[in-house]
Amino acid sequence: MFPPSPMKFHHNPRESLKSGEDSAGSESALISLASIGDNSTATGHRLQPPLPPEIQPQMEMASSSDKPATGVTQFQLDAKLAPPKRKGAGSTSDKVLDAKTVRRLAQNREAAKKSRLRKKAYVQQLESSRIRLAQLEQDLQRARSQGFIIGGGAAGGNISSGAALFDMEYARWLDDEHRHMSELRTALQAHLSDGDLRVIADKYIAHYDELFCLKEVAVVSDVIHLYTGMWTTPAERCFLWMGGFRPSDLIKQAEEALSQGLEQLQQSLISTIANGSVNDSMNQMAVALGKLTSLEGFVRQADNLRQQTLHQLRRILTVRQTARCFLVISEYYGRLRALSSLWASRPRENFIAGDNSCQTSTDLQMVLSSRNQFSNF
Amino acid sequence: MHYHAESYGNYNASTVRQNAAVDPLERVVRLASGSAVVIFSLSTCCMCHAVKRLFCGMGVNPTVYELDLDPRGKELERALMRLLGDGSAMPVVFIGGKLVGAMDRVMASHINGTLVPLLKEAGALWL
Repeated sequence: MFPPSPMKFHHNPRESLKSGEDSAGSESALISLASIGDNSTATGHRLQPPLPPEIQPQMEMASSSDKPATGVTQFQLDAKLAPPKRKGAGSTSDKVLDAKTVRRLAQNREAAKKSRLRKKAYVQQLESSRIRLAQLEQDLQRARSQGFIIGGGAAGGNISSGAALFDMEYARWLDDEHRHMSELRTALQAHLSDGDLRVIADKYIAHYDELFCLKEVAVVSDVIHLYTGMWTTPAERCFLWMGGFRPSDLIKQAEEALSQGLEQLQQSLISTIANGSVNDSMNQMAVALGKLTSLEGFVRQADNLRQQTLHQLRRILTVRQTARCFLVISEYYGRLRALSSLWASRPRENFIAGDNSCQTSTDLQMVLSSRNQFSNF
Repeated sequence: MHYHAESYGNYNASTVRQNAAVDPLERVVRLASGSAVVIFSLSTCCMCHAVKRLFCGMGVNPTVYELDLDPRGKELERALMRLLGDGSAMPVVFIGGKLVGAMDRVMASHINGTLVPLLKEAGALWL
Protein backbone atom coordinates (compact mmCIF):
# COMPACT_ATOMS: atom_id res chain seq x y z
CA MET A 1 0.00 0.00 0.00
CA PHE A 2 2.44 2.58 1.08
CA PRO A 3 5.59 2.16 -0.93
CA PRO A 4 4.21 4.35 -3.67
CA SER A 5 3.02 6.72 -0.99
CA PRO A 6 6.46 7.87 0.01
CA MET A 7 6.42 9.62 -3.33
CA LYS A 8 3.27 11.37 -2.30
CA PHE A 9 4.75 12.26 1.02
CA HIS A 10 7.65 13.72 -0.83
CA HIS A 11 5.35 15.79 -2.95
CA ASN A 12 3.08 17.12 -0.29
CA PRO A 13 5.34 18.82 2.17
CA ARG A 14 7.85 19.89 -0.43
CA GLU A 15 5.13 21.37 -2.54
CA SER A 16 3.86 23.27 0.43
CA LEU A 17 7.32 24.24 1.53
CA LYS A 18 8.02 25.58 -1.91
CA SER A 19 5.00 27.78 -1.67
CA GLY A 20 6.62 29.37 1.29
CA GLU A 21 4.16 28.45 3.97
CA ASP A 22 5.60 27.47 7.29
CA SER A 23 3.40 25.54 9.60
CA ALA A 24 0.77 25.53 6.94
CA GLY A 25 3.07 23.38 4.86
CA SER A 26 3.40 20.66 7.36
CA GLU A 27 -0.21 21.04 8.30
CA SER A 28 -1.27 20.53 4.75
CA ALA A 29 0.92 17.49 4.55
CA LEU A 30 -0.89 16.06 7.53
CA ILE A 31 -4.29 16.95 6.22
CA SER A 32 -3.54 15.75 2.71
CA LEU A 33 -2.53 12.48 4.18
CA ALA A 34 -5.67 12.40 6.18
CA SER A 35 -7.71 13.08 3.09
CA ILE A 36 -5.89 10.41 1.18
CA GLY A 37 -6.57 8.08 4.01
CA ASP A 38 -10.17 9.14 4.18
CA ASN A 39 -12.23 6.82 2.08
CA SER A 40 -15.00 9.27 1.65
CA THR A 41 -13.49 11.86 -0.66
CA ALA A 42 -15.54 13.34 -3.42
CA THR A 43 -13.65 11.44 -6.07
CA GLY A 44 -15.57 8.42 -5.00
CA HIS A 45 -12.66 6.09 -5.32
CA ARG A 46 -12.01 3.52 -2.76
CA LEU A 47 -8.81 4.96 -1.54
CA GLN A 48 -6.21 3.39 0.55
CA PRO A 49 -7.31 2.66 4.07
CA PRO A 50 -6.55 5.07 6.91
CA LEU A 51 -3.06 5.37 8.21
CA PRO A 52 -2.04 2.70 10.65
CA PRO A 53 -2.11 4.16 14.13
CA GLU A 54 1.62 4.00 14.69
CA ILE A 55 2.19 6.35 11.82
CA GLN A 56 -0.24 9.09 12.71
CA PRO A 57 1.40 10.34 15.90
CA GLN A 58 4.70 10.47 14.08
CA MET A 59 3.16 12.60 11.39
CA GLU A 60 1.74 14.92 14.00
CA MET A 61 5.16 15.38 15.48
CA ALA A 62 6.51 16.17 12.10
CA SER A 63 3.92 18.82 11.46
CA SER A 64 4.53 20.65 14.68
CA SER A 65 8.24 20.97 14.05
CA ASP A 66 9.90 23.89 12.31
CA LYS A 67 10.41 24.12 8.62
CA PRO A 68 14.05 23.03 8.43
CA ALA A 69 13.42 20.10 10.69
CA THR A 70 10.48 18.94 8.65
CA GLY A 71 12.65 18.04 5.74
CA VAL A 72 14.78 15.89 7.94
CA THR A 73 11.85 14.29 9.63
CA GLN A 74 10.26 13.48 6.29
CA PHE A 75 13.12 11.17 5.39
CA GLN A 76 12.76 9.46 8.71
CA LEU A 77 9.07 9.10 8.07
CA ASP A 78 9.60 7.74 4.61
CA ALA A 79 11.89 5.14 6.03
CA LYS A 80 9.35 4.26 8.70
CA LEU A 81 6.50 4.12 6.26
CA ALA A 82 8.19 1.92 3.72
CA PRO A 83 8.08 -1.26 5.76
CA PRO A 84 4.45 -1.52 6.97
CA LYS A 85 2.24 -3.39 4.62
CA ARG A 86 -1.41 -3.67 4.95
CA LYS A 87 -2.54 -7.22 4.91
CA GLY A 88 -4.78 -8.29 2.12
CA ALA A 89 -4.35 -5.26 -0.06
CA GLY A 90 -2.36 -7.14 -2.60
CA SER A 91 1.37 -7.21 -2.75
CA THR A 92 1.97 -3.72 -3.91
CA SER A 93 5.46 -3.83 -2.55
CA ASP A 94 6.45 -5.88 -5.61
CA LYS A 95 8.60 -4.07 -8.11
CA VAL A 96 6.45 -5.21 -10.98
CA LEU A 97 2.99 -3.74 -10.66
CA ASP A 98 0.06 -5.02 -12.62
CA ALA A 99 -1.99 -2.71 -14.80
CA LYS A 100 -4.93 -2.60 -12.45
CA THR A 101 -2.75 -1.50 -9.60
CA VAL A 102 -1.01 1.05 -11.69
CA ARG A 103 -4.32 2.50 -12.72
CA ARG A 104 -5.53 2.49 -9.16
CA LEU A 105 -2.44 4.23 -7.95
CA ALA A 106 -2.69 6.79 -10.70
CA GLN A 107 -6.28 7.46 -9.74
CA ASN A 108 -5.25 7.83 -6.16
CA ARG A 109 -2.62 10.30 -7.13
CA GLU A 110 -5.17 12.28 -9.06
CA ALA A 111 -7.57 12.19 -6.18
CA ALA A 112 -4.88 13.31 -3.82
CA LYS A 113 -3.92 16.14 -6.13
CA LYS A 114 -7.53 17.27 -6.38
CA SER A 115 -7.80 17.10 -2.65
CA ARG A 116 -4.80 19.31 -2.26
CA LEU A 117 -6.14 21.84 -4.73
CA ARG A 118 -9.50 21.88 -3.05
CA LYS A 119 -7.91 22.38 0.25
CA LYS A 120 -5.81 25.21 -1.06
CA ALA A 121 -8.86 26.90 -2.50
CA TYR A 122 -10.72 26.42 0.77
CA VAL A 123 -7.89 27.89 2.77
CA GLN A 124 -7.71 30.88 0.45
CA GLN A 125 -11.43 31.39 0.82
CA LEU A 126 -11.08 31.21 4.58
CA GLU A 127 -8.30 33.75 4.51
CA SER A 128 -10.30 36.25 2.49
CA SER A 129 -13.33 35.65 4.65
CA ARG A 130 -11.24 36.32 7.69
CA ILE A 131 -10.10 39.63 6.26
CA ARG A 132 -13.64 40.52 5.34
CA LEU A 133 -14.83 39.61 8.80
CA ALA A 134 -12.20 41.81 10.38
CA GLN A 135 -13.28 44.66 8.14
CA LEU A 136 -16.93 44.15 8.96
CA GLU A 137 -16.14 44.13 12.66
CA GLN A 138 -14.27 47.36 12.21
CA ASP A 139 -17.23 48.89 10.40
CA LEU A 140 -19.54 47.69 13.13
CA GLN A 141 -17.31 49.21 15.76
CA ARG A 142 -17.28 52.50 13.96
CA ALA A 143 -21.00 52.42 13.37
CA ARG A 144 -21.64 51.76 17.06
CA SER A 145 -19.43 54.61 18.06
CA GLN A 146 -21.32 56.92 15.75
CA GLY A 147 -24.48 56.28 17.64
CA PHE A 148 -26.23 53.80 15.39
CA ILE A 149 -28.42 51.29 17.11
CA ILE A 150 -27.33 47.96 15.76
CA GLY A 151 -27.81 44.38 16.78
CA GLY A 152 -30.71 44.74 19.11
CA GLY A 153 -32.72 47.84 19.51
CA ALA A 154 -34.71 48.87 22.53
CA ALA A 155 -37.43 46.32 22.10
CA GLY A 156 -34.86 43.57 22.19
CA GLY A 157 -36.02 42.32 18.84
CA ASN A 158 -33.58 40.69 16.50
CA ILE A 159 -32.32 42.75 13.64
CA SER A 160 -33.10 41.11 10.34
CA SER A 161 -30.25 39.91 8.19
CA GLY A 162 -31.26 42.26 5.38
CA ALA A 163 -31.15 45.17 7.78
CA ALA A 164 -27.82 44.11 9.25
CA LEU A 165 -26.34 43.75 5.81
CA PHE A 166 -27.56 47.17 4.77
CA ASP A 167 -26.21 48.74 7.95
CA MET A 168 -22.78 47.30 7.28
CA GLU A 169 -22.72 48.47 3.72
CA TYR A 170 -24.05 51.88 4.68
CA ALA A 171 -21.26 52.27 7.24
CA ARG A 172 -18.72 51.59 4.53
CA TRP A 173 -20.54 53.99 2.20
CA LEU A 174 -20.32 56.67 4.85
CA ASP A 175 -16.56 56.27 5.04
CA ASP A 176 -16.32 56.73 1.31
CA GLU A 177 -18.65 59.70 1.61
CA HIS A 178 -16.23 61.41 3.99
CA ARG A 179 -13.48 60.75 1.53
CA HIS A 180 -15.49 62.27 -1.32
CA MET A 181 -16.30 65.25 0.82
CA SER A 182 -12.66 65.98 1.60
CA GLU A 183 -11.85 65.55 -2.07
CA LEU A 184 -14.48 68.14 -2.93
CA ARG A 185 -13.20 70.50 -0.30
CA THR A 186 -9.58 70.29 -1.32
CA ALA A 187 -10.51 70.54 -4.98
CA LEU A 188 -12.47 73.72 -4.39
CA GLN A 189 -9.78 75.22 -2.22
CA ALA A 190 -7.14 74.36 -4.74
CA HIS A 191 -9.15 76.11 -7.44
CA LEU A 192 -8.94 73.23 -9.85
CA SER A 193 -10.15 73.58 -13.41
CA ASP A 194 -13.76 73.00 -14.28
CA GLY A 195 -12.87 69.76 -16.01
CA ASP A 196 -11.23 68.36 -12.90
CA LEU A 197 -14.07 69.57 -10.71
CA ARG A 198 -16.57 67.93 -12.99
CA VAL A 199 -14.79 64.61 -12.60
CA ILE A 200 -14.96 64.88 -8.85
CA ALA A 201 -18.60 65.98 -8.89
CA ASP A 202 -19.45 63.07 -11.16
CA LYS A 203 -17.74 60.68 -8.79
CA TYR A 204 -19.78 62.13 -5.95
CA ILE A 205 -23.01 61.55 -7.84
CA ALA A 206 -21.94 58.05 -8.84
CA HIS A 207 -21.28 57.35 -5.21
CA TYR A 208 -24.79 58.43 -4.32
CA ASP A 209 -26.10 56.24 -7.10
CA GLU A 210 -24.36 53.36 -5.36
CA LEU A 211 -26.24 54.20 -2.19
CA PHE A 212 -29.53 54.15 -4.05
CA CYS A 213 -28.68 50.72 -5.39
CA LEU A 214 -27.99 49.51 -1.85
CA LYS A 215 -31.25 51.03 -0.70
CA GLU A 216 -33.11 49.36 -3.54
CA VAL A 217 -31.99 45.98 -2.21
CA ALA A 218 -32.84 46.98 1.34
CA VAL A 219 -36.31 48.17 0.36
CA VAL A 220 -37.17 44.65 -0.63
CA SER A 221 -35.41 42.88 2.22
CA ASP A 222 -36.49 45.12 5.09
CA VAL A 223 -38.47 48.21 4.22
CA ILE A 224 -39.51 48.93 7.81
CA HIS A 225 -35.87 49.19 8.77
CA LEU A 226 -35.27 51.69 5.97
CA TYR A 227 -38.42 53.60 6.59
CA THR A 228 -37.95 54.00 10.33
CA GLY A 229 -34.41 55.13 9.71
CA MET A 230 -32.81 52.73 12.16
CA TRP A 231 -29.73 52.87 10.00
CA THR A 232 -29.30 56.61 10.47
CA THR A 233 -28.12 58.57 13.47
CA PRO A 234 -30.81 59.70 15.92
CA ALA A 235 -30.60 63.35 14.90
CA GLU A 236 -30.95 62.48 11.22
CA ARG A 237 -33.90 60.37 12.15
CA CYS A 238 -35.71 63.44 13.47
CA PHE A 239 -35.74 64.91 10.00
CA LEU A 240 -36.20 61.71 8.12
CA TRP A 241 -38.60 61.69 5.24
CA MET A 242 -39.73 58.36 3.83
CA GLY A 243 -36.57 56.50 4.56
CA GLY A 244 -34.00 59.17 3.71
CA PHE A 245 -33.26 62.83 3.26
CA ARG A 246 -35.95 65.26 2.15
CA PRO A 247 -35.29 66.76 -1.23
CA SER A 248 -35.27 70.51 -1.42
CA ASP A 249 -38.23 72.84 -1.30
CA LEU A 250 -38.09 73.23 -5.04
CA ILE A 251 -39.90 69.98 -5.39
CA LYS A 252 -42.30 70.34 -2.51
CA GLN A 253 -45.10 69.30 -4.83
CA ALA A 254 -43.66 65.89 -5.57
CA GLU A 255 -42.90 65.34 -1.90
CA GLU A 256 -46.38 66.44 -0.95
CA ALA A 257 -47.98 64.03 -3.40
CA LEU A 258 -45.96 61.10 -2.09
CA SER A 259 -46.67 62.10 1.49
CA GLN A 260 -50.37 62.20 0.84
CA GLY A 261 -50.27 58.85 -0.86
CA LEU A 262 -48.46 57.42 2.13
CA GLU A 263 -50.97 58.97 4.49
CA GLN A 264 -53.74 57.25 2.62
CA LEU A 265 -51.85 53.99 2.93
CA GLN A 266 -51.52 54.45 6.67
CA GLN A 267 -55.21 55.27 7.03
CA SER A 268 -56.16 52.29 5.00
CA LEU A 269 -53.88 50.01 7.00
CA ILE A 270 -55.23 51.30 10.28
CA SER A 271 -58.81 50.80 9.25
CA THR A 272 -58.04 47.29 8.04
CA ILE A 273 -56.56 46.34 11.38
CA ALA A 274 -59.11 48.21 13.48
CA ASN A 275 -62.22 46.95 11.74
CA GLY A 276 -63.32 43.51 10.78
CA SER A 277 -64.76 40.79 12.90
CA VAL A 278 -62.82 38.42 15.08
CA ASN A 279 -63.81 35.54 12.81
CA ASP A 280 -62.27 37.18 9.83
CA SER A 281 -58.91 38.00 11.40
CA MET A 282 -56.80 35.85 9.11
CA ASN A 283 -58.27 37.53 6.10
CA GLN A 284 -57.77 40.93 7.66
CA MET A 285 -54.14 40.13 8.28
CA ALA A 286 -53.67 39.02 4.70
CA VAL A 287 -55.17 42.26 3.45
CA ALA A 288 -53.06 44.26 5.89
CA LEU A 289 -49.92 42.45 4.74
CA GLY A 290 -50.70 43.33 1.17
CA LYS A 291 -51.08 46.97 2.10
CA LEU A 292 -47.84 47.02 4.02
CA THR A 293 -46.09 45.81 0.90
CA SER A 294 -47.12 49.09 -0.73
CA LEU A 295 -44.74 50.78 1.68
CA GLU A 296 -41.92 49.41 -0.45
CA GLY A 297 -43.27 51.33 -3.43
CA PHE A 298 -43.30 54.57 -1.48
CA VAL A 299 -39.80 54.29 -0.16
CA ARG A 300 -38.68 53.37 -3.63
CA GLN A 301 -40.38 56.41 -5.16
CA ALA A 302 -38.94 58.63 -2.47
CA ASP A 303 -35.45 57.32 -3.22
CA ASN A 304 -36.13 57.91 -6.88
CA LEU A 305 -37.05 61.49 -6.05
CA ARG A 306 -33.84 61.97 -4.08
CA GLN A 307 -31.73 60.51 -6.82
CA GLN A 308 -33.41 62.58 -9.53
CA THR A 309 -32.91 65.70 -7.45
CA LEU A 310 -29.18 65.13 -7.13
CA HIS A 311 -28.84 64.46 -10.84
CA GLN A 312 -30.89 67.51 -11.71
CA LEU A 313 -28.77 69.70 -9.47
CA ARG A 314 -25.74 68.59 -11.39
CA ARG A 315 -27.45 69.41 -14.67
CA ILE A 316 -28.64 72.89 -13.87
CA LEU A 317 -25.69 74.20 -11.90
CA THR A 318 -22.26 75.03 -13.21
CA VAL A 319 -19.54 72.61 -12.28
CA ARG A 320 -18.20 74.83 -9.57
CA GLN A 321 -21.64 75.44 -8.16
CA THR A 322 -22.33 71.73 -8.26
CA ALA A 323 -19.15 70.95 -6.37
CA ARG A 324 -19.95 73.57 -3.76
CA CYS A 325 -23.51 72.36 -3.49
CA PHE A 326 -22.45 68.79 -2.92
CA LEU A 327 -19.92 69.91 -0.35
CA VAL A 328 -22.60 71.85 1.49
CA ILE A 329 -24.88 68.83 1.46
CA SER A 330 -22.11 66.60 2.78
CA GLU A 331 -21.15 69.01 5.49
CA TYR A 332 -24.73 69.51 6.54
CA TYR A 333 -25.23 65.81 7.08
CA GLY A 334 -21.80 65.48 8.63
CA ARG A 335 -22.74 68.07 11.20
CA LEU A 336 -26.11 66.47 11.77
CA ARG A 337 -24.36 63.22 12.49
CA ALA A 338 -21.89 64.93 14.78
CA LEU A 339 -24.81 66.53 16.56
CA SER A 340 -26.19 63.07 17.04
CA SER A 341 -23.04 61.80 18.71
CA LEU A 342 -22.88 64.87 20.88
CA TRP A 343 -26.42 64.32 21.93
CA ALA A 344 -25.79 60.68 22.71
CA SER A 345 -22.75 61.50 24.78
CA ARG A 346 -24.02 64.60 26.51
CA PRO A 347 -23.20 64.74 30.23
CA ARG A 348 -25.96 63.55 32.44
CA GLU A 349 -26.38 63.96 36.19
CA ASN A 350 -25.53 60.41 37.16
CA PHE A 351 -22.35 60.28 35.16
CA ILE A 352 -18.94 61.31 36.38
CA ALA A 353 -18.42 64.64 34.68
CA GLY A 354 -14.82 63.93 33.74
CA ASP A 355 -15.41 60.95 31.46
CA ASN A 356 -18.11 62.48 29.34
CA SER A 357 -16.59 65.89 29.01
CA CYS A 358 -13.53 64.49 27.27
CA GLN A 359 -15.58 62.91 24.57
CA THR A 360 -17.87 65.88 24.34
CA SER A 361 -14.98 68.23 23.85
CA THR A 362 -13.48 66.22 20.97
CA ASP A 363 -16.86 65.97 19.29
CA LEU A 364 -17.37 69.67 19.82
CA GLN A 365 -14.02 70.37 18.24
CA MET A 366 -15.04 68.31 15.27
CA VAL A 367 -18.26 70.25 14.84
CA LEU A 368 -16.50 73.59 15.24
CA SER A 369 -13.76 72.76 12.81
CA SER A 370 -16.19 71.69 10.13
CA ARG A 371 -18.15 74.86 10.68
CA ASN A 372 -15.01 76.91 10.02
CA GLN A 373 -14.56 75.09 6.75
CA PHE A 374 -18.16 75.70 5.89
CA SER A 375 -17.83 79.43 6.40
CA ASN A 376 -15.53 79.64 3.37
CA PHE A 377 -18.46 79.10 1.11
CA MET B 1 -60.57 65.48 -11.89
CA HIS B 2 -63.29 63.53 -13.58
CA TYR B 3 -63.74 59.83 -13.32
CA HIS B 4 -64.83 57.68 -16.20
CA ALA B 5 -66.28 54.25 -16.11
CA GLU B 6 -66.49 53.86 -19.81
CA SER B 7 -68.52 50.75 -20.02
CA TYR B 8 -71.35 52.16 -17.95
CA GLY B 9 -73.80 54.58 -19.48
CA ASN B 10 -73.76 55.36 -23.20
CA TYR B 11 -75.29 51.98 -23.64
CA ASN B 12 -76.28 51.88 -27.25
CA ALA B 13 -75.77 49.26 -29.88
CA SER B 14 -73.05 51.04 -31.76
CA THR B 15 -70.98 51.61 -28.64
CA VAL B 16 -71.29 47.95 -27.70
CA ARG B 17 -70.22 46.86 -31.14
CA GLN B 18 -67.36 49.31 -31.05
CA ASN B 19 -66.21 48.15 -27.62
CA ALA B 20 -66.55 44.49 -28.43
CA ALA B 21 -64.51 44.78 -31.59
CA VAL B 22 -61.64 46.76 -30.13
CA ASP B 23 -58.74 44.91 -28.51
CA PRO B 24 -57.54 46.11 -25.09
CA LEU B 25 -54.46 47.94 -26.27
CA GLU B 26 -56.39 49.83 -28.87
CA ARG B 27 -58.91 50.74 -26.20
CA VAL B 28 -56.13 52.02 -24.01
CA VAL B 29 -54.80 54.18 -26.81
CA ARG B 30 -58.24 55.47 -27.64
CA LEU B 31 -58.98 56.38 -24.04
CA ALA B 32 -55.54 57.93 -23.65
CA SER B 33 -56.06 60.21 -26.63
CA GLY B 34 -59.43 61.34 -25.32
CA SER B 35 -58.10 63.90 -22.83
CA ALA B 36 -55.03 66.04 -22.21
CA VAL B 37 -54.02 64.10 -19.09
CA VAL B 38 -55.18 60.51 -18.58
CA ILE B 39 -54.42 58.40 -15.54
CA PHE B 40 -55.12 54.67 -15.44
CA SER B 41 -55.53 53.85 -11.79
CA LEU B 42 -56.86 51.42 -9.22
CA SER B 43 -59.22 52.81 -6.61
CA THR B 44 -57.46 50.92 -3.80
CA CYS B 45 -53.91 51.80 -4.80
CA CYS B 46 -52.26 54.45 -2.67
CA MET B 47 -49.55 55.24 -5.20
CA CYS B 48 -52.34 56.08 -7.64
CA HIS B 49 -53.70 58.42 -5.00
CA ALA B 50 -50.28 60.07 -4.80
CA VAL B 51 -50.09 60.66 -8.55
CA LYS B 52 -53.59 62.13 -8.59
CA ARG B 53 -52.56 64.48 -5.76
CA LEU B 54 -49.49 65.49 -7.73
CA PHE B 55 -51.44 66.57 -10.76
CA CYS B 56 -54.17 68.25 -8.77
CA GLY B 57 -51.51 70.07 -6.79
CA MET B 58 -50.13 71.44 -10.03
CA GLY B 59 -53.54 72.67 -11.08
CA VAL B 60 -54.10 70.00 -13.70
CA ASN B 61 -57.46 68.32 -14.19
CA PRO B 62 -56.70 64.73 -15.16
CA THR B 63 -59.17 62.15 -16.47
CA VAL B 64 -59.01 59.08 -14.27
CA TYR B 65 -60.02 55.54 -15.22
CA GLU B 66 -60.35 53.26 -12.19
CA LEU B 67 -59.66 49.92 -13.81
CA ASP B 68 -60.79 47.88 -10.82
CA LEU B 69 -64.23 49.41 -11.14
CA ASP B 70 -64.48 48.68 -14.84
CA PRO B 71 -65.83 45.25 -15.82
CA ARG B 72 -63.22 44.98 -18.55
CA GLY B 73 -60.55 46.69 -16.52
CA LYS B 74 -58.52 43.56 -16.04
CA GLU B 75 -57.64 43.28 -19.70
CA LEU B 76 -56.81 46.96 -19.90
CA GLU B 77 -54.53 46.48 -16.92
CA ARG B 78 -52.80 43.59 -18.61
CA ALA B 79 -52.39 45.52 -21.83
CA LEU B 80 -50.81 48.38 -19.87
CA MET B 81 -48.44 46.03 -18.10
CA ARG B 82 -47.33 44.65 -21.42
CA LEU B 83 -46.91 48.16 -22.74
CA LEU B 84 -44.67 49.15 -19.87
CA GLY B 85 -42.84 45.84 -19.91
CA ASP B 86 -43.11 45.79 -16.16
CA GLY B 87 -45.29 43.86 -13.77
CA SER B 88 -45.89 46.65 -11.32
CA ALA B 89 -47.78 48.97 -13.65
CA MET B 90 -50.34 51.14 -11.82
CA PRO B 91 -50.67 54.09 -12.06
CA VAL B 92 -50.01 54.79 -15.75
CA VAL B 93 -50.02 58.33 -17.05
CA PHE B 94 -50.61 59.59 -20.58
CA ILE B 95 -50.16 63.25 -21.50
CA GLY B 96 -51.40 64.58 -24.81
CA GLY B 97 -52.10 61.00 -25.87
CA LYS B 98 -48.46 60.01 -25.35
CA LEU B 99 -47.30 57.51 -22.77
CA VAL B 100 -45.31 59.05 -19.91
CA GLY B 101 -45.16 55.91 -17.80
CA ALA B 102 -45.51 54.79 -14.20
CA MET B 103 -44.84 56.82 -11.06
CA ASP B 104 -41.06 56.81 -11.27
CA ARG B 105 -41.08 58.22 -14.80
CA VAL B 106 -43.58 60.88 -13.79
CA MET B 107 -41.40 61.86 -10.83
CA ALA B 108 -38.25 61.89 -12.91
CA SER B 109 -39.80 64.08 -15.58
CA HIS B 110 -41.17 66.42 -12.93
CA ILE B 111 -37.72 66.85 -11.42
CA ASN B 112 -35.84 67.24 -14.66
CA GLY B 113 -38.30 69.87 -15.77
CA THR B 114 -39.87 68.09 -18.71
CA LEU B 115 -43.28 67.52 -17.16
CA VAL B 116 -44.54 71.09 -17.07
CA PRO B 117 -43.72 71.87 -20.73
CA LEU B 118 -45.39 68.61 -21.70
CA LEU B 119 -48.51 69.62 -19.79
CA LYS B 120 -48.54 73.04 -21.35
CA GLU B 121 -48.17 71.57 -24.81
CA ALA B 122 -51.11 69.27 -24.19
CA GLY B 123 -53.15 72.18 -23.02
CA ALA B 124 -53.50 70.95 -19.46
CA LEU B 125 -51.67 73.91 -17.93
CA TRP B 126 -51.83 77.52 -18.87
CA LEU B 127 -49.44 79.38 -16.68
